[in-house]
Amino acid sequence: MDPKPAVHIRRPVSTYRIVQIILGIIFSGYLLWRLYQVFIAHPAYGPDTWLRFSIDGIVLGSVYALIAIGYTLVYGILFMINFAHGDIMMIGAFGGYFVFEALGNIKVGSATTPDLTFLNAHPAISVVLAFLVGALIASTSGYFLEKIAYRPLRSAPRLVPLISAIGASIFLENAGQLMFGAQRRDYSNPTTLERGTGWGIPIGGHTVILTYTGVLTIIASVLIMVGLYVLVRRTRLGRSMRAVAENKSVAALMGIDVDGVISRTFIISGALAGAAGVMWGIHLGLVYYYVGFIPGIKAFTAAVLGGIGSIPGAMIGGVFLGVVEALGPAVLGISFQLKDVIAFSILVLVLIFRPTGILGEVLSEEKV
Amino acid sequence: MKHHLRNGLNAGIVFTVVTIFLFLVGFTNTIADIIGAILRNESASLPLGMTPEMLNLLIFFFFIGIWAGASGAKKAPGEKDSWTGALLAGGLAGLIHGLFVGLLGWLLGSLAVAGVRMTVYFAQLLPVVIRTFLIGLAPLQGAIFYLVFFFLTGILGGAVARGLGRGAWRHSFSLWLRAQWQKVTNWGLVKFFKTNKIARYILFGVIILLFFLLPLVVGQYWNYTLGTVGIYVLLGLGLNIVVGLAGLLDLGYVAFFAIGGYTVALLTAPSPQHLMWNFWVTVPIAIILAAFAGVVLGVPVLRLRGDYLAIVTLGFGQIIAVLLKSDELTEFTGGPKGVTAVGAPTLFGHSFNDPVAFVYLTLLAVILVIVVTIRLRSSRVGRAWEAMREDETVARAMGINTLSHKLLAFAIGAAFAGLGGVIFASRNQFTGPEDYNLMVSFNVLASVIVGGMGSLPGVVGGAFTLKGLPEVLRELENYRVLAFGALLVVMMLIRPAGLIPTSRRKMETGKTPGQDAGPEPDPQKGKTP
Repeated sequence: MDPKPAVHIRRPVSTYRIVQIILGIIFSGYLLWRLYQVFIAHPAYGPDTWLRFSIDGIVLGSVYALIAIGYTLVYGILFMINFAHGDIMMIGAFGGYFVFEALGNIKVGSATTPDLTFLNAHPAISVVLAFLVGALIASTSGYFLEKIAYRPLRSAPRLVPLISAIGASIFLENAGQLMFGAQRRDYSNPTTLERGTGWGIPIGGHTVILTYTGVLTIIASVLIMVGLYVLVRRTRLGRSMRAVAENKSVAALMGIDVDGVISRTFIISGALAGAAGVMWGIHLGLVYYYVGFIPGIKAFTAAVLGGIGSIPGAMIGGVFLGVVEALGPAVLGISFQLKDVIAFSILVLVLIFRPTGILGEVLSEEKV
Repeated sequence: MKHHLRNGLNAGIVFTVVTIFLFLVGFTNTIADIIGAILRNESASLPLGMTPEMLNLLIFFFFIGIWAGASGAKKAPGEKDSWTGALLAGGLAGLIHGLFVGLLGWLLGSLAVAGVRMTVYFAQLLPVVIRTFLIGLAPLQGAIFYLVFFFLTGILGGAVARGLGRGAWRHSFSLWLRAQWQKVTNWGLVKFFKTNKIARYILFGVIILLFFLLPLVVGQYWNYTLGTVGIYVLLGLGLNIVVGLAGLLDLGYVAFFAIGGYTVALLTAPSPQHLMWNFWVTVPIAIILAAFAGVVLGVPVLRLRGDYLAIVTLGFGQIIAVLLKSDELTEFTGGPKGVTAVGAPTLFGHSFNDPVAFVYLTLLAVILVIVVTIRLRSSRVGRAWEAMREDETVARAMGINTLSHKLLAFAIGAAFAGLGGVIFASRNQFTGPEDYNLMVSFNVLASVIVGGMGSLPGVVGGAFTLKGLPEVLRELENYRVLAFGALLVVMMLIRPAGLIPTSRRKMETGKTPGQDAGPEPDPQKGKTP
């Protein structure tokens, strides 16, 4: 047992702390009351609806998690928010879209099936190709983004690269609008991956559909995350990434090519965002030039929620955010139009009550 | 030789990417149109079945090709200055440039021949655009044409670069420019104004007076534009306090603008609230509400450093837009339709709502805000802000209560935005959710940053350039936002202190504007415990 210090220093209780506690009590009280209302007093939805919401939430959450990892990787190394990350995701989504469109135009049918296209004949190859192309394009843009907009500013005051990142984000978004036009486009999935089709789960007299696209999204994102975890924990590159995140100058002294590691970090985070974009397209079916904006903000929220800088934190935060967002409107009894408001409120609440996030990565003042 | 080849290769790739990008966003056509407008050759008859558009496009590509060659033939370090090297590098750059542009042309042409409608995928690629791009040739011929064309222009560019002494002309040009400037400043009248203080003040007075009389002589449209620019100046001045003085990046600035606008709209309009208060009563209410919103938003996030603030405010701006558009608040704020018949200011029973009056009202507000800003900046509070911006830890060690000063900056900035919103809504006599999208925030941010963070003339100039210039150059309207994004990046890269930096910034950045070596520590420093 530690000996008690001889002199007690009474720390003054700050007003902020009191406000924090009061707000916390009010907020959790309201939440409990709503839960009581929704589940016990006036159950508005059956178990099938809740299951459906949860599945939707987990699928979306796994996409958020992938994007959030990109934020976290870059933040862990450069301590800057890569504002253009959502737009990198948009680029990846368009990459996958064009792969599907191109393959959908290649006819491989025989005399009996004249309309069979490559896309429908080989759905697995098409999907893998879409992921590869989306990730490739997105990681290339990530690489050049870092090289052009962030690298020259590495020693500048913090506001400077942040503004540069915002500029890059505006630029990419508008370039997307000018190039691809303002309209929303349908992702033409292979017929076996038709949106809305899937396995039926009977529950409470209803059937909840577990969509193929949703399952594909979850499996793909789990695979990518496992791959990333192995990369960061087990490989030489991962080791140098962690070293650079720890301390750039010491890492450089240890013979690590810091610039190269940072470039590769951007390539990896771009690839993750690109894959997330393709998933978004396959599962939700719509791509447009600002498709990355809202997921970008939400994924950032997820990264903060999980503890920015921490990779497992980003994964947990992403899935958690997806589920909360899907269940939130129903629990709070508000319109589904206000889904985005929930994600944002979570961000503010996390920043008020636990700025270090769920996994509580201890960030020194300098980092935060 | 190796350096030359590498330079040529790099230049070729860079110019390929740039050319293809410009083509895909439709910029090449816009430029061709502008060249056409300058040359006035819309109806010229040309050989080989070329249309004037094709010729104009080729003129543009000619310059791009020369530029590519010239930048490929940059002088390599430690290399002997030779014609062969320059021509080789220029030619290589041109060859690569031409190869890929030709490839693109071949691809697009073949797809068009195969019957693929490219506009489905790329909005700018109308069939006529593709035909113009291929100079009316078949895909393969067009590709070969571009290969040869860019190869030749590349060689020409290399020769031009060698002839001009490879970048040495830039130095001599700047010397020439400086000499001209000297000549102008030595000119009698200029010298008189430079040395005589009273004369200078009188000159300034005359200029300001002319500016005051301007709204009376220019027409309706220009007054409207002037009013818009004035509102952006107002917003820029407010954001200048938040970003420029206190160093807090606020991306949801539009939210406070919206709060101001909606407050005045809901209080003075006959529907949906049936209040119809007097305009002047609502002004302080709107300002106070906006400031209050700033404080409420600021309390949770201002305790944290830097980056979180940017994204929380961005989210806040988005949330306000979502809320205003949603059906939940339709009964209260009019929903997506917005609020019409917003009240106009009245003075002695006379309601004025013509653009000229609003220009004066805006001008009055701008002067008020400028005076407040100047007084604040030179006060204890302003010095505390600037200290905080430069180094928060040191500022705190000096006994500055950083939280309350940040809140103050946030609240004052928000109040100015609220004032801007009031004038905006009242002038338009309408306010709706579409008026308050995030682009407003980015516009204002761009004008603050381009002008120079913290500098008042910079902000005013920035707002005039970014909001006023596009009104003049209508053709380039589509590329305005794109240019804003690029401008933010480029400004940060080459001149982070802005076009008209404050004197303090100028001293800090000194002779090398490339590196804003502020005293902010490397984030790595404080990390090791």
